[in-house]
Amino acid sequence: MGDGVTATQVVFWILAVVMLVSALGVVTAGNIVYAALFFIAALAGVAGIYLILAVEFIALVQLLIYGSAVVILILFALMLTRARERPQALFGRTRPLGIAAAAGLLAALIGGIVATQWVTPGSAADFQPIALQQIGDVIFTVWIVPFIIVGVLLSIALDGAIMLASPDEEE
Amino acid sequence: MPALEHVLVVNAVLFAIGAMGVLTRRNAVLILLSVELMLNAVSLNMVAFAVYGHIDFGNITGIVFAFFIIVIAAAEVALALGIVVRTFRNRATANVDEVNLLKW
Repeated sequence: MGDGVTATQVVFWILAVVMLVSALGVVTAGNIVYAALFFIAALAGVAGIYLILAVEFIALVQLLIYGSAVVILILFALMLTRARERPQALFGRTRPLGIAAAAGLLAALIGGIVATQWVTPGSAADFQPIALQQIGDVIFTVWIVPFIIVGVLLSIALDGAIMLASPDEEE
Repeated sequence: MPALEHVLVVNAVLFAIGAMGVLTRRNAVLILLSVELMLNAVSLNMVAFAVYGHIDFGNITGIVFAFFIIVIAAAEVALALGIVVRTFRNRATANVDEVNLLKW
């Protein structure tokens, strides 16, 4: 890895900048719908970084679940709450405090990363991408019980969401 | 490949941006979007550790964690948006500072 800047690194930094600018757009945009659109760009950036790290499976899951399902849910929620029709303050009164707290958190995280001695692989030749088959083997052997529980949890949560959002018929 | 530290720094910035959104926004849906950004930063971190640690330790648990985080985040979004829609129907607002029903 050490010598020179490789093409992968260049692509990584481009994706990282796109992702971070879109994320900033999500939290600072003055229009709620723009914030949701910035969110899609940020998710796509994260999926691109997954591809850089050579985990296509997670990139695909990211695009299918986050990039489509979650985004559509959020756009529906924005529509149902008619967020765009009434102009209103998008930020709370404690905004400066929130920005300061986030900056402090960032400083603490980066301080921790810089202070730690990371074990990094010696050269790019050592790098072995994780095969999809390996992920499947691990999920369906070691992690099979959590996998089943997560499936049950997902169906319970979706049933609960339907119950919460449906109108009360008896009233 | 980018260095592990660089990936971690990018994730830390993404996490802090998400935290800033959670702390500054009023609209419940936008707070949820910011939470999703933070979750994305965490799962990206897990994947980075798995991908780099795989070489030295032969362990890919981080990938499984990222997978579970994405699935549970989907469930969480569905539930949270159900609550937001319900609140909007009852209180005609989606701003968290106007929903002070449980305030003592």
